[in-house]
Amino acid sequence: MAPALEVSDLAKGYGRVRALRGVSFVLEPGEIFGYLGPNGAGKTTTLRIILGLASADRGWVRLLGQPPSRPASRERIGFLPGELRLHGGMTGRALLDHFARFRPSHPPVLRERLLAALDLKESDLARKVKWLSHGTRQKVGLVIALQHDPDVILLDEPTTGLDPLVQRAFRDLVRELAARRRAVLFSSHVLSEVEAVCGRVAMLRAGELLAVESIGTLRGRLVRRLEARFRGPAPADLGALPGVTRAETAGSEATLWLKGDVNPLIARLAHCEVEQLVFPEPQLEEVFLDLYRPGGAP
Amino acid sequence: MSRNLLRLLVRRHGLFVATSAFLLGGFQFLICAAVASVDVAGALETLMQSLPPIFQALASSQFFGGFSKSGLLAFGWAHPIAQALGAALAITLATQAVAGEAEAGTIELTLAQPLSRSTYLAAQAVFALMALAFITLAGLAGTFIGQRVYALSPFGPGPLLRFGLDYLLFQSAWFGLTLLFSTWGREAGRVALPGFLLALVSYLVHVIGSMWEAWKPLVPWTLHAYYSPQEILVHGAAVTKPLTVLFGVLAVSLAGAWWRFRQRDLP
Repeated sequence: MAPALEVSDLAKGYGRVRALRGVSFVLEPGEIFGYLGPNGAGKTTTLRIILGLASADRGWVRLLGQPPSRPASRERIGFLPGELRLHGGMTGRALLDHFARFRPSHPPVLRERLLAALDLKESDLARKVKWLSHGTRQKVGLVIALQHDPDVILLDEPTTGLDPLVQRAFRDLVRELAARRRAVLFSSHVLSEVEAVCGRVAMLRAGELLAVESIGTLRGRLVRRLEARFRGPAPADLGALPGVTRAETAGSEATLWLKGDVNPLIARLAHCEVEQLVFPEPQLEEVFLDLYRPGGAP
Repeated sequence: MSRNLLRLLVRRHGLFVATSAFLLGGFQFLICAAVASVDVAGALETLMQSLPPIFQALASSQFFGGFSKSGLLAFGWAHPIAQALGAALAITLATQAVAGEAEAGTIELTLAQPLSRSTYLAAQAVFALMALAFITLAGLAGTFIGQRVYALSPFGPGPLLRFGLDYLLFQSAWFGLTLLFSTWGREAGRVALPGFLLALVSYLVHVIGSMWEAWKPLVPWTLHAYYSPQEILVHGAAVTKPLTVLFGVLAVSLAGAWWRFRQRDLP
């Protein structure tokens, strides 16, 4: 089967700024592909080129085998922009109908299922979009993107503004779509989010693709920080445990850097009186520096 | 052509179009009422005689049809209010079509649908031309009904329709020129400003050129030189040349806008 999306050697500049430098990847049907990078890395520019909203200086894109300049190539695409802006004077329901009418041959078969999964009520849809909260607008945007059951789904920071319960429901929905051979490009700057849902991930920094690898490989290479607080003094032997690359202790508190399997550490901590255990969300820049600097984690 | 986009445009701009039509129709009706109910011509002639020569020249450029009832009715269409109502609608619709939607961020999701840029721009242009035709008809209806109500019958349906085409193409040309700016811009305000300035400069050059010999060569370069309600309505002047020029400006600017819009990055 042909790839859902092929991106080859994309380059794009805005004046002196090189927004993309030779980005290539392939998205297969049934795959959830993370497109990970800090803000300003070039994720949105890539999506705009894929959709034909911007032109590339170099390289090419095939969306379901067609160039993005053809409107027909977008017939089976679902898209959620990173900065979602909707016509504020329309109600949510009118907007869903408006976008559904662009695809008369692909009716909004998933709409009711999505409304239920995202907990979007009829009363929300009856209100003008400008009066809706940011999170509710985001839900409307997700329904617009997915209601026609597209073959390729392009999501730019899709969980922005969603509460944790809805985020979880949304992730389940994405997995369900992928199980039905839908291809999903999940662009985000949050590592844990991509890790939770994607099978493969591309890492982008300053317009350059640093790596494309499976989540399992990435997990094995990631150095995570763990902050622990104990009832008594922190154990002195934490730094010697397998997988712990570095440990700092001060009184009852310890900060550990872990790589690979966390089970030996958990087993050791089971013998301690732990008051609090936190895995802070890693900053992407730190992760990238750690993974890809010369002599870094790999 | 995307009926879906046209429906959206009617929803978004319908009230503005309807209000403009009501105001233009009402204004032309009031002009008929004023002409019929008071001796406006006599009052104006007295006023004119008391003015310095330069203001007399200015007034005669505005009241080209003279102080007859038909001349004053035609003045209703040369009046800045009648021009500004049409220009405001034309410039606003053109501004919103691309730059306004880009600034609002809504164009990104719209053009991510299976919709070509040509179709998008064509829908915007068709809607604007329909809206301008609608307000033109409303204005003509105001004049026509006013003439009937106040027993004035200087213009028949033929001259009114010929003039209506002139007004429609005149305002459409402003739409085309501003749309050209809009396809280059990302902010509505920055596009509307040159559109309005262009209309204002055209008006001023036309007025000054009709009073001052040194500016006369500039007059044919203004769009106002091809908008002449008094000549068409009062003197029955031929409309072939003005309509050709205005249509040419509209066609060239729409072609330029289409060329630019197909190439530009969005938003």
